[in-house]
Amino acid sequence: MLRGQLQCLSPRFLLFCSFPSSAASFSILILILLLLRRRRRRRLSELKNIAFSPFACFSRRFFVSGMEKERFFGGGWKSAHAGLLPEVSAFAGDEHLPHSFVGFGWEQPVHGQEAHAQQLESALSSLVSSPSSNAPDGNDSVVIRELIGRLGSICNSGNVSPSSRCHSAHASYYSTPLSSPPKLNLAGADHQRQRMLVNQVAAAPFLADQGFAERAARFSCFGAAEAGQLSRVSSRQSLAKEVAASYAMMAGSSSSPEASSASEKLTAVVAEHNARKRKAAPKGKGKAAAPSSSSAMDPPEEENSDSKRCKAAEAGGADKDAPVKPKTEQNSSDDGNAKPPEPPKDYIHVRARRGQATDSHSLAERVRREKISERMKLLQDLVPGCNKVTGKAVMLDEIINYVQSLQRQVEFLSMKLATLDPQLEFDTETLLSKEMHQVHVPLPQQVLFPLDMATSAFSLAQLPLKLAENPPDSMFSSLQLPPIDHLANLWEDDLRYVVQTGFPQSQEAPFSSGALRAE
Amino acid sequence: MYRRSFKDTKSSLGSPNPNFSKPMVALRFLRALSLVRCSGPGARSPSYRARGIRRAAYACMAASAGPRRAWSRALLRKIRRRPGRGLRRPRAVIRRRRPVGGGDPLEVALRRLVPGGGCMEYCRLLEEAADYVKCLAMQVRLMQTIVDSASHVNSID
Repeated sequence: MLRGQLQCLSPRFLLFCSFPSSAASFSILILILLLLRRRRRRRLSELKNIAFSPFACFSRRFFVSGMEKERFFGGGWKSAHAGLLPEVSAFAGDEHLPHSFVGFGWEQPVHGQEAHAQQLESALSSLVSSPSSNAPDGNDSVVIRELIGRLGSICNSGNVSPSSRCHSAHASYYSTPLSSPPKLNLAGADHQRQRMLVNQVAAAPFLADQGFAERAARFSCFGAAEAGQLSRVSSRQSLAKEVAASYAMMAGSSSSPEASSASEKLTAVVAEHNARKRKAAPKGKGKAAAPSSSSAMDPPEEENSDSKRCKAAEAGGADKDAPVKPKTEQNSSDDGNAKPPEPPKDYIHVRARRGQATDSHSLAERVRREKISERMKLLQDLVPGCNKVTGKAVMLDEIINYVQSLQRQVEFLSMKLATLDPQLEFDTETLLSKEMHQVHVPLPQQVLFPLDMATSAFSLAQLPLKLAENPPDSMFSSLQLPPIDHLANLWEDDLRYVVQTGFPQSQEAPFSSGALRAE
Repeated sequence: MYRRSFKDTKSSLGSPNPNFSKPMVALRFLRALSLVRCSGPGARSPSYRARGIRRAAYACMAASAGPRRAWSRALLRKIRRRPGRGLRRPRAVIRRRRPVGGGDPLEVALRRLVPGGGCMEYCRLLEEAADYVKCLAMQVRLMQTIVDSASHVNSID
């Protein structure tokens, strides 16, 4: 039965491996290994040793659980479409490792170092097989969780229990396993963590869940940030940039905005950590460089390009951030924080920041700045003739001028009305009807309905009573008071007086007629 | 009725105070105008009436803006303080939550222009300024139409 399963599964595996997703994943794995090789050649041997030790101890279980492995593989294949590791594990039996790899025609370049890769992957397979023995045939997420847990344990010298890290609520398979290694990273060594970082974040493109990849990247960055050394910082930054680059590369065109945003956020996080360590403008550098790196789409040489980018972006960041006060306090007055950046740069595109005290501060300030820019945009729409103007200072000037002109207009019109007043006494009906017509255009229906009800049901004298009832604010009940000094005592009394002197019909009719006409 | 109208406009337009209740403003203002007119057609000087009309305009604007707006509250407070009340009611009003450093002359000018702008943060100042500008523009348009119709009627006669 097993043999039959294996035989029927093998062509499917071939097909599966030929899928572009699996090809992409393979290439990503290659990328990981290349990066690893490029960075820490000596670590690979360590890894190999570490890998082989659990491999050896798992080998027995592997043999024993051969059947379960097949079954797991079958179940995994049936349900998984992006499961690279399960297939790798299932196919990479201990003794069949090189054959299986070669047999499936991977794009892996056949180098001398491929043995390392294969051994690593065999270790992965053994890891997969061991959890597969525990939970065959259907708990794919659990199995993969355990797999990645063991993978993380291998990379972290196996001191953290993988099963304790269980992530939940993720669609793709890699989401759950990839979440646990980021957490595991927090406890491991720097370089290993970084490697895991690269592994996981580079494998992030596997995920359909972009947000999760971003989270994983952030976790890895946070984990790497605990290294706390400048040298590591630079390498981490470059690593993060490469990660972002690879992420952007792998994410594909459709998800490129999210990828870029995620990579931006990633680099933002990295940049914030950097600033915390260095208190300089590598943050601006990181932010400025990361988009360029992601656009460049190739992992650059780490240290040299880093330093170059640092210098270049520092210059750019310096003149960008020059007006941004080195106030690291978030509690500084909002005007103080908002005003200095106004003159030199466009408030809409504020992105670079000075070194802040902590990340929460910088993030909050960024949020505040975005709010302010949003409000300025609102104002821009309101004030006529402000579309061409950019920059907070000029905008504010325009707004102030506009408000002053409006207030002067009110004053002028009131004077005009006062002079015209004696002639208007009998024209209130026409005035009101005209006003209703002209003024009712932009109205929603709900406003008209109560208006109609009010006008039809009540006389004018009772309206202010209703108005006085409704607003809970005492100011507004007294708001109905006439604005004239000598009439300040009681709105209702005066209005009733006014009503009795002959206004009611003239005013009610236009109200109701106006309301009806408007409706 | 008016409470419902406020709520309806608020819910329909999705903002805390859309101030699209133009008929409200018009109503209030015209009522106030009529009061002003009938109160002192001959007894008062035009300047006094002009001042009264201006106060009426601001009061109507603030009233229709709603109590949710800081500037409308401040404006009404300012207006109501005018009628020579000897006793200021000791209100537990917390003023000056965040005294401004006054670093920027532009911002200081804006604070002076917008009623109630002395105590607000910059963000809120901008928001209130936007709403204030909107209401003010509407009020100006309203008064302009009144004046136009009045002058038109007068010219016809």
